[in-house]
Amino acid sequence: MTIFRVMHAEMLKLKRTLAFRMVFVAPLLVATLQFFVLLQRHKFSADFKLWDSVFRMSLNVWAVFLMPLLITLETALLSGLEHGEKQWKHILALPVTRRSVYLVKLFTAHALIMLSTLFLLVLSFIVGLIAMRLRSELANSGWPDFVWVLKHAGMVWLASWLILAIHTWISIRWASFTVTLGAGVAGTFFALFAASAKAGKYYPWLLPVNVFSEERLPAALLLGAIGGVIAMALGCWDFVRRDVI
Amino acid sequence: MQKIAIETRGLTRRFGTQLAVNSVDLRVPEAGVYGFLGPNGAGKTTTIRMLLGLIRPNAGEVRLFGESLAEHHLLLMQRVGALVETPSLYSHLTGRENLEVTRRLIGAKRELIDRALGIVKLTADAHRRVREYSLGMRQRLSLALALLNNPALLILDEPANGLDPAGIHEMRDLIRRLPTEFGITVFLSSHLLSEVEQVANHIGIIHQGKLIFQGTLADLQAERHEHLTIGATQPDKAANCLLAAGWSVLRREDGLLTVAAATRDAAASINTLLVGRQLEVFHIAMAQASLEDIFLNLTTPTEKRKAA
Repeated sequence: MTIFRVMHAEMLKLKRTLAFRMVFVAPLLVATLQFFVLLQRHKFSADFKLWDSVFRMSLNVWAVFLMPLLITLETALLSGLEHGEKQWKHILALPVTRRSVYLVKLFTAHALIMLSTLFLLVLSFIVGLIAMRLRSELANSGWPDFVWVLKHAGMVWLASWLILAIHTWISIRWASFTVTLGAGVAGTFFALFAASAKAGKYYPWLLPVNVFSEERLPAALLLGAIGGVIAMALGCWDFVRRDVI
Repeated sequence: MQKIAIETRGLTRRFGTQLAVNSVDLRVPEAGVYGFLGPNGAGKTTTIRMLLGLIRPNAGEVRLFGESLAEHHLLLMQRVGALVETPSLYSHLTGRENLEVTRRLIGAKRELIDRALGIVKLTADAHRRVREYSLGMRQRLSLALALLNNPALLILDEPANGLDPAGIHEMRDLIRRLPTEFGITVFLSSHLLSEVEQVANHIGIIHQGKLIFQGTLADLQAERHEHLTIGATQPDKAANCLLAAGWSVLRREDGLLTVAAATRDAAASINTLLVGRQLEVFHIAMAQASLEDIFLNLTTPTEKRKAA
């Protein structure tokens, strides 16, 4: 099938790219922050739950801030591979469907974000283990609730479908890195203000972090996933009919 | 009957109010080199993009090997290789990896990579990253990408752009070999007639979106007319003087004037006219127009010729 051929080619394009390196750099920032927060803490109360704290904080910071920015960067870099030397005119003159080219860009961004999220979980786990070794009061923290961790990581990813679809469309539609990054930074920045507003539960850049609020969870999942599929279809439709000038 | 690789009927494309391509009817025979000529901005690249399905025409139709491009785009693109304007390469990958990306996209056999590298003579440098390549090497690698799927039709848009004389020579040799050694039809666009006439056997000339000439190189040469070349001390004044007298005049880059006239009487009366206006005539000769002159005559607007 064409889509697998295009995906196979896309994997090779990622070789030696910043897009691939950033998958590992972004979670490292969160893990480093997490590590120093734990290390600097003077006292841990008796009911302090190490694993709950580690994963909740990691995923929250990830969902509200770093993941939306990483999505912006990854989609910009992935599309930049084609904008750079006007590769669109080469690729789209090959016997491949435009639909598959567009969808593969989106799916690659999905794959990179998933990989990055998984790496974040691994790093958070390592940070927790190190904290248990360094701080005797945490030594008996037991094991994390892996089901909770994977479920929430999965929900964060599901809720991010809409911004992934929006950013993929923007980054393909406009060749300018400034436009793509500007949209992502603006979206993430306004999320800080939208967070406290009632309508914040519908704001696309807040959907991933909204999965941690019971009240906002259903809207986050529904809007994220369904909105993501609709935005993907609209973006694909726009790409298929657009002239390559 | 000669088979046709590319046929367009009434191909038209507008950008806003500007008519970039105006009802163009191309007929490109198989297994030869077709030179698609025109000044910059004449509509060559827009036409090529329509031939590849990159942009849609407002009117008209493209047929490749007798099939409608709109209906069989994917199937037809399996038989077409293209290099549109600048090379489209991933500079962080090696030459071979660039070919591998395209190979994966089209699902071609792995051994075709070595064949394409061999044709463009890049085998020895295939392991190097493209960012280390010279412009000529990049252009050759782009050609290898276009040749990867062993196409029956190769569409090249200004392939000599930015190349040094040695690079141009190499590219020309390569293009000449393609129809004879590999049976490939080459459709080549350029704004330089001198470049195209050395490789093409068919010519199409586009100007302001309209196809103003199409035929064999011999047909174009038949358009040659005798004319006078005049050398005068003040060429601008002399040109104006002749234009005012009703002659058709073209100012050449070397300062001489070309006048559409081919008789002794005409030469004598022009000489008398210029001398009578106190202009010194140091050269007057009858000559046959070069292909370049024909091209310029076809593509230089009348107003510009008059202004010369």
